[in-house]
Amino acid sequence: MKILAALILVSSCAFAQTKVSGVVKDTQGEAVIGANVMIKDSYDGTSSDAEGKFSFKTDEKGEQILVATFVGYKAYSQAIALEGKDVVVNIVLEEEANVLDGVTISAGSFTAGEEKRRTVLKPLDIAMTAGATADIAGALNTLPGTQKVGESGRLFVRGGDGNETRTFIDGMVVLDAYGAAAPNTPSRGRFMPFMFKGTSFSTGGYSAEYGQAISSALVLNSKDKAESNQTDIGILSVGADVAHTQVWKRSSLSGKIQYTDIRPYFGLIDQRIDWITPPQALEGSAAYRTQVGKEGMLKLYGNFNRSSMQLYNHDILDPAKKQSYDLTNTYHYGNASYLQPLNENWNIRGGFSYTYNENAILLDGKPIGERESGTHTKVVSEYAANENLEWRMGGEVIQRNYEAYQLNTTTQESQKVFFHEVISSGFTEAQVLLHTKFITKAGGRFEHNSLTNAVSVDPRLSVAYKPGKKGQFAFAYGMFRQSPKNQYVRLNPALQSEKAEHFILNYQVITDRKAFRVEVYYKQYNNLVKFVNGNANNLNNAGNGYARGVELFWRDSETIKNVDYWLSYSYLDTERDYINYPAAAVPTFASKHNFSAVYKHFISALKTQVGATYSYSSGRPYTNPNNTQFNSDRTPDYHDLSVNFAYLPKPNLIIYFSCTNLLNNDNIFGYQYSDTPANDGLYKSRAIQQPANQFVFLGVFITLSKNKSVNQLPNL
Amino acid sequence: MKTVALSLFLFIQISVLANDAKYKEQMAKQIQIVYQAETIEELQPAVNALDRIASAEKTKWEPYYYSAFGSLMMATHSTEAAKKDGYLDAAMAAIENAKKINANESELIALEGFVYMIRVTVDPATRGQQYSSLAFQTYNKALNMNPENPRALSLLAQMQLGTARFFGASTEEACGTAKKALEKFDTFKSENPLAPVWGKGMTQGLLKNCK
Repeated sequence: MKILAALILVSSCAFAQTKVSGVVKDTQGEAVIGANVMIKDSYDGTSSDAEGKFSFKTDEKGEQILVATFVGYKAYSQAIALEGKDVVVNIVLEEEANVLDGVTISAGSFTAGEEKRRTVLKPLDIAMTAGATADIAGALNTLPGTQKVGESGRLFVRGGDGNETRTFIDGMVVLDAYGAAAPNTPSRGRFMPFMFKGTSFSTGGYSAEYGQAISSALVLNSKDKAESNQTDIGILSVGADVAHTQVWKRSSLSGKIQYTDIRPYFGLIDQRIDWITPPQALEGSAAYRTQVGKEGMLKLYGNFNRSSMQLYNHDILDPAKKQSYDLTNTYHYGNASYLQPLNENWNIRGGFSYTYNENAILLDGKPIGERESGTHTKVVSEYAANENLEWRMGGEVIQRNYEAYQLNTTTQESQKVFFHEVISSGFTEAQVLLHTKFITKAGGRFEHNSLTNAVSVDPRLSVAYKPGKKGQFAFAYGMFRQSPKNQYVRLNPALQSEKAEHFILNYQVITDRKAFRVEVYYKQYNNLVKFVNGNANNLNNAGNGYARGVELFWRDSETIKNVDYWLSYSYLDTERDYINYPAAAVPTFASKHNFSAVYKHFISALKTQVGATYSYSSGRPYTNPNNTQFNSDRTPDYHDLSVNFAYLPKPNLIIYFSCTNLLNNDNIFGYQYSDTPANDGLYKSRAIQQPANQFVFLGVFITLSKNKSVNQLPNL
Repeated sequence: MKTVALSLFLFIQISVLANDAKYKEQMAKQIQIVYQAETIEELQPAVNALDRIASAEKTKWEPYYYSAFGSLMMATHSTEAAKKDGYLDAAMAAIENAKKINANESELIALEGFVYMIRVTVDPATRGQQYSSLAFQTYNKALNMNPENPRALSLLAQMQLGTARFFGASTEEACGTAKKALEKFDTFKSENPLAPVWGKGMTQGLLKNCK
């Protein structure tokens, strides 16, 4: 027995060994040190040495697979025959496309999220920017490409109007992303930054997936399943909120109720607005996430909001003459999105969103208002052949019902105008990566509009080239269209879509903690709504315009310890001939120079994060009827220095304080003029200003959870 | 026929025994290296060797465990954020593979928490919130699976200490956990000869912060 065993043992060891050797290099011909070279499913193999060389002996026989792997590179495999004869293999490892230093589509966009990537912005930055008061648009307004339009609060991008920026949540369109506000007072975004894990703000040249936006796309990706149960309580100087998150094994549910009442605050600080009842709002939202099957993810989100305010508008010529303005806004938004990977290569995702928005206004008791409801349905399939080739196509339907009403005082009947629009579209896009240095994304978008029965095809193209380790050049081109504002479509449903064509060149260098970026662009507007012979009731698409500019961005969180700052500058040259403009002129929302400096400093000893933001805008045009030239006057320059402090005395407690316009500048956004001249023959003006120069906010945020270190810092 | 069958049977038996001996010997050698190595250059070949063992031994979670541990050590020795993340990705991938073999191993879950903890150090300002809460949770999960696991306790103590320090709060809780961890290091005995044994020194180091 023993002899037999020994014999077998000897014979098994006596099989001839094969020597496998060679060298491992990358695509640039540099040696790869420490790569794992092995015979698949065996013990046999080795690591490449300092010159990339390897050599080992194996007992395996016959047809085998030689595998080589290394962190940051794609796995290499090759069939080899092991027959006792030396085998020499020269291995070339290809860099993985997704590694941090890879080339990415960059022209036109600012992405926050995917914290493993080097991005210009991180999700937390949006929440913690002084002066933004936790408003997404407020934070993005410190980036190049945006203009300060203080009386609006919306995102005005590269010579575009506020409505030319469209918000998408999980790929689904949001019809009215901003809360209601009194005339000439800034509105806030309806969605709190804490809901999102990633934000992509594109100032031009975006993907074919996004339509109905001619200047900018703000793409927000909501958080996935929550990981822990917690309750958050906020006590604010302007209200209170409470939120709770409950987590199960495969799903999570979060709900939040918020009540805002500015009355106590307005009692303390003088307002330029003659409030009857300052704004109050009740808002609730809920988010449910659940895993479906092995890899499917379903996300549901719902939001309701009801806000109201009452104020007096005073006549410019005779301030004693006043008109009461009573606004009640009702808003519902629901969104469902579903993602299902089908197999390694295919993904399918789809979604549905519903928006309802109503502004009910009473002007001196006379009802006038508008309602809009809409749905968006979308299905996208995505195919990834490998890291080098991705392709997607999708279809969507956006339908909107709009209605405006007012009471005719003579007939005492309600007059209504309405339209029903259905936009059906399809898009396709392919992304090809060549040699990890050159990436291109090309596609197109098809649209059919039911009101005009017009069919359009818009091309989109992005390329990026990264010659070395750091710097990257990128170019983007695209044709974009969107329906004109509701107030015009309701008068003339046959109006064509407004169009913009973007050309963008970009250069950027991003390292772990520093970023530099410069971008130049040219944008051509066509088909803008124009009043025929200045008649606001007779509209056509004869308007046009252009915008061009240079933008710079610098961010550094490395040089000074615990300090992070960024600087952005935008130069804008734009003119448009649209609506009531007698000729091409700089629009009233455009300012030539915009500059922002954002500073954040964490002081460990005080457990306090200090933030400051300085913003500057050069004067904006306005029309002075006492001056014959249209839009030829300029407002004074805009300056704002805002600060915030977040003090963390305990892990689950935050005391937050912020103040805008610390220097108390009298910023003027424009002038309103009386409809008729005064007795001296001159039109009288009134400056459009912030309701109060400063906004002071104090809040205490408490988080209750099992894990005591969790707090609401990311929510602020 | 009988002899052929017998010899075939013996051949298989012996191969298995030989393979098992080879497995243990190889593992012992590589485990030694990942415990003691202080540079990426030393760790990488050991991690590679462990990955090779893992690919041959499809029913064993230990090779993946030590491969992940080695990758984690490389992440701590690396100075570049991008590289750190690469090593952590590799560690995570190995842990996922090991979990497919043994889903209920407390040691694997504790190591997963360790990966999250190191993720925080790459970019504390951005990742602190997400990953520190994940680390806490994962350590607790590991302790639910096995309340005796000294490594899970020690890592949890480290997280608690970091949090307490950041807020200038009392380190009492952290010190209590660390003390408990140290006791478990002396009493915890696994039947698995390849079970991890690291962490005692780290715990003693932690306790130096406690009075």
